[in-house]
Amino acid sequence: MQHAFEKIWPVLIVEVLTAVIIIWRIVSAQRGKELFIRRIPGLNAIDEAIGRATEMGRPVLMVPGIGGFSIIALQALSIFSYIARSTAKFGNRILMPVADPTVYTVAEEVIRDAYQAEGHPERFEADSIRFLSDRQFAFASGVAGLIQREQIASSFMFGEFFAESLIFAETGNMVGAIQVAGTVHTTQIPFFIAACDYTIIGDEYYAASAYISRNPTMLGSLVGQDFGKLLIASLCVIGSVAATLAALEVPVLGTASQWFINLFTIR
Amino acid sequence: MFEPIARFFSAKPPEVLPYYVAGAVLFSILMIFVLINLPSRARKPLIALVTFLAGLFYATEFFFPIDRATNKNFLTDYLVPASKLGSLLGGMTLTLGILSLLRVHGRNIARLRAGWYNSVALLVAMVSMVTFGLMDKYGANDGAKKVFNVLFEGMLINMDATMFSLIAFYIVSASYRAFRIRSIEATILMVTAFLVMLGQVPVGNALTDWLPQDGTFASLRVENIKQWILSQVNAAALRAIAFGLGVGGLAISLRIWLSLERGAYFEKEI
Repeated sequence: MQHAFEKIWPVLIVEVLTAVIIIWRIVSAQRGKELFIRRIPGLNAIDEAIGRATEMGRPVLMVPGIGGFSIIALQALSIFSYIARSTAKFGNRILMPVADPTVYTVAEEVIRDAYQAEGHPERFEADSIRFLSDRQFAFASGVAGLIQREQIASSFMFGEFFAESLIFAETGNMVGAIQVAGTVHTTQIPFFIAACDYTIIGDEYYAASAYISRNPTMLGSLVGQDFGKLLIASLCVIGSVAATLAALEVPVLGTASQWFINLFTIR
Repeated sequence: MFEPIARFFSAKPPEVLPYYVAGAVLFSILMIFVLINLPSRARKPLIALVTFLAGLFYATEFFFPIDRATNKNFLTDYLVPASKLGSLLGGMTLTLGILSLLRVHGRNIARLRAGWYNSVALLVAMVSMVTFGLMDKYGANDGAKKVFNVLFEGMLINMDATMFSLIAFYIVSASYRAFRIRSIEATILMVTAFLVMLGQVPVGNALTDWLPQDGTFASLRVENIKQWILSQVNAAALRAIAFGLGVGGLAISLRIWLSLERGAYFEKEI
């Protein structure tokens, strides 16, 4: 069974400290503190892509990846909920092929709620959210076929993607769709960058729902996230200096540095 | 404290097993009925409570110190039953997924929409695979086993491989577009990729073979430049992204665990 590292306390302390910072920022944002977040072009492009689909009268495709039901899928559905609100408003047709049955069940509810929230429940088509297959390449061929047949205008790919990512992105490119993608899998990011118009990289993926909704709770969490990154970056810098001092065997400081390095060394 | 729970979820002898199964089915039906009929105001706190307890269970199990001899703590034995709950939910939702397939393709066939014969092929393939798969697993019919082998090994695996091999062609077309020199960033990308590719192939290594193996000029050998790009530049960038993703994951997990998530799931505060 996987457990926390043998040297559990430093890891626990860093995680708890990060969690406390995030919660502190959420609480201060809920109390009305104004927060600034930088511009993320990929997320700004969502409206542009929906607008294009509206002008062309062609469908909008949303793919939540092939991963199971996890925080990654939840984040993807949160972004798709926003997209569905816009498509409900403008009357676009949407297509959402899903590979995981649990994600499919939740996705149907989330999209239905989005249409209801926009005041257009009658525009929601249950068939627009489809379970295709839980096999990677069967799903990939299904989505590629859907893109070709429906000649989609915009494609949004958010979630867990593996080898099939390029099949989706290149097929979308072939039909001239404007494509926005984001994944947490660093091995797939280069493929999306090469084939898509906009790519959400790294933790921008988790920033998406806050950026789109501008909800104080989520904005606070996003700022807390940045503080967490600052904490880890500081630890990296201190670690580098400590490693140098330990290697140079500087008196006193060298011993203290070695202690610091040992604290975070994972066997 | 957890002994009675562990005893309840332990393997049961065959003579009492049907009663436990029937009880579990009845309990599930009752729970579904209760959850569906709960008013929204009561449902949200219930979901929040279950989410919190589930998160607390996994976090405690992960961080609580373990007994070195058994590599376990007091919660480790309950991980498997907890993950089985997840599998059960997955199994139930698979039925909904199959219903979705039947609904979409059944309509295509009934209304003779364009390409309706593809829907027929899909449904026939699905039913055949399930039927022969079950016969292969539980039956003793050699004919069924052969048919299943043809369907699975002869067709499905090969079709998977075909789709996978398409990626090679897509990589060429995508990289052609990505490497076109249109900006400073694209130029850096192009040069870096060119050096890494050269370092991967023997002909690239042969280009700088005349440089010494050791010393200052050894750094200019193509394979060393490639190694430097991968281990210093690329690895550093990937680790930075990984740190960001880790902290981002922690933030969204916290929001969901403490039911602070808003937007798609809960529009208003609980």
